[in-house]
Amino acid sequence: MAETLFEQVWGRHVVASQPSATLLYIDRHLVHEVTSPQAFEGLRMAGRKVRRPGLTFATPDHNVPTDNQFQILDPLSKKQVETLRSNCREFGVELYDIGGGRQGIVHVIGPELGLTLPGLTIVCGDSHTSTHGAFGALAFGIGTSEVEHVLATQTLWQGPRPSALGVEVNGVLPPGLEPKDIILAVIRALGIGGATGCVIEYYGSAIRALGMEGRMTVCNMSIEAGARAGLIAPDDVTFEYIARADRPFAPRGAALEAALVDWKRLRTDDASAFDRNVSIDASNLAPQVTWGTNPAMTVDVGGVVPNPEDVPFATPADARRALEYMGLVPGTPIEQIAVDVVFIGSCTNGRIEDLRSAARVFEGRKVAAGVQALVVPGSEQVRKQAEAEGLDRVFREAGAEWRQAGCSMCLAMNPDKLRPGQRSASTSNRNFEGRQGPGGRTHLVSPSMAAAAAVAGRFADVRKLLK
Amino acid sequence: MQPFQTHIGRAAVLDWCDVNTDLIIPARYLKRTERSGYGPLLFADKRYEPGTAPPPDDPSNQGPLAADFPLNHPELRDATVLVVGRNFGCGSSREHAVWAVQQAGFRAVVAPGKGEGFADIFESNAFKSGLLPIELDPGDWDALVAELRAAPGRVQVEIDLNECVLAAHTPTGDIRFGFEIPEEERRRLLRGLDAVAETLLLDDAITAHERSRPAWLAASSTPA
Repeated sequence: MAETLFEQVWGRHVVASQPSATLLYIDRHLVHEVTSPQAFEGLRMAGRKVRRPGLTFATPDHNVPTDNQFQILDPLSKKQVETLRSNCREFGVELYDIGGGRQGIVHVIGPELGLTLPGLTIVCGDSHTSTHGAFGALAFGIGTSEVEHVLATQTLWQGPRPSALGVEVNGVLPPGLEPKDIILAVIRALGIGGATGCVIEYYGSAIRALGMEGRMTVCNMSIEAGARAGLIAPDDVTFEYIARADRPFAPRGAALEAALVDWKRLRTDDASAFDRNVSIDASNLAPQVTWGTNPAMTVDVGGVVPNPEDVPFATPADARRALEYMGLVPGTPIEQIAVDVVFIGSCTNGRIEDLRSAARVFEGRKVAAGVQALVVPGSEQVRKQAEAEGLDRVFREAGAEWRQAGCSMCLAMNPDKLRPGQRSASTSNRNFEGRQGPGGRTHLVSPSMAAAAAVAGRFADVRKLLK
Repeated sequence: MQPFQTHIGRAAVLDWCDVNTDLIIPARYLKRTERSGYGPLLFADKRYEPGTAPPPDDPSNQGPLAADFPLNHPELRDATVLVVGRNFGCGSSREHAVWAVQQAGFRAVVAPGKGEGFADIFESNAFKSGLLPIELDPGDWDALVAELRAAPGRVQVEIDLNECVLAAHTPTGDIRFGFEIPEEERRRLLRGLDAVAETLLLDDAITAHERSRPAWLAASSTPA
């Protein structure tokens, strides 16, 4: 029987099977400061060690201030980062610390380091681990008990094998649209729980046309449709990214040749092997803007705030709660909604391609009066690259703030957050209530749409600006 | 982990759909490095009057309870079973969400729809921490919620994990619903087993797998 890419990768990692559970070997374990302290403490209390410290890699990201990384004023944040440092020392785990040149959001640095490779199983105590699926890896988020389990055993128990959902994206993405628009449209089509129990494989001509950064954006938000993971079969674009000079952990020479032979076999030969298929035509997409409190509550930029009775996948009561929280009235055109803050960054859109897209819109324009615009590179490497290309000057000249690497305003765990009632255009992944700060109102958009909102002071169709 | 065999207690209903883990426990509380103390932080931005949620460094410093939050109903304060809407626990992987539900006194969470009631990671975290996630048939869930609404605080819910049965003892009689739990998870919950200790018994199989891995998987290159 035909096997999907996901099933191939899963099958290679089975260590033991029980009737309703499978023990999977884990090839890479990424660790950050928020979901690991209780896991290390569990090891300490049981007198256990990390089984494979050489497959375990850590970095601080969630708590790191982006105005001055070295000055963590919040005592709890400071303690959490210092706890990561002491745990890494005690258990022999490699730490990519602040200022070392390789720190950044865990899902940005994994690929940069050459840790993320096709066919691997990759886990992290973070739901956006699905990002690494862009390389054809099976990558998914786990809880702290599971972090402890992987540290101790380098394996993970999984329930019944998830089903395989094929998401085909064909056509040509129109000018001004970005990978973020593809994934927002996919989530809008599936619903926030539409892929629960599934692993998504993205395929089709519009996916093949994406670079690695764009593929990571797409896979990153698989969890927002409820999927356990999202992945894309590796191809020459993937292999070229891995072969670049600055990927210290990627295989080289004969090892790379052997790996390539293997990686080229990683594919789904027949779309009928998927348990379910969904199809989207990228050619017909318009820029996407979320209006509500989950990432499936999305409309086209030319659309209006919907009536609560007409919201797919939500009960009218849930939709009314979302409208009330967002302070929006049905029928309001999206392009009339004013923003206070613009955030460009995160594990979804904090890579070099994202910053280039935003810079193209900022070039020769100014951030509107009264709007605060933050541009936050996803890693120290991305920051360095952007500065080498002069992107930082474009942002600064436009009146945006050019920051240091970290999770920043994606979630309210560091000084970058919304004040109650403030409204943002954000390139991050979640518009949940309070996600960017208690009472904050988040609209998810692509990097170029975020930049367009910054210069217009309200949501604006970036296609008109780029003409 | 505390074993789960049978449990009897009052049930509270929060019937919102797609309740995410940021709502269950806001990210600012994840700065804590402890595994306990999350009970008062459950639904912190909904449960207390606006602006009076506990500060992250002092979870016991709680403001007045919000009158309109369903779980604050006086007759439900000692509830130990949480009945929730579809896709509960979506979003972030934070196990703190499970710890907060548990440490607020709940031993089980009941949602509608097999394979739809809970988000995958929340459900997995719940099993690992000993919080029982039960997915009822949607019709059964509706019937249970109707009984709970008809007599708030006067329905005793009894859960038997040996038999996989949830019974509601109402003022007018008893109703019983069956549910399914993956056998391995059920076995661990019943005995309160430590998954790590169990897995370490499979050390030979893990080592054999490690020996069979191709060399390029090692991640052994020296950083430049």
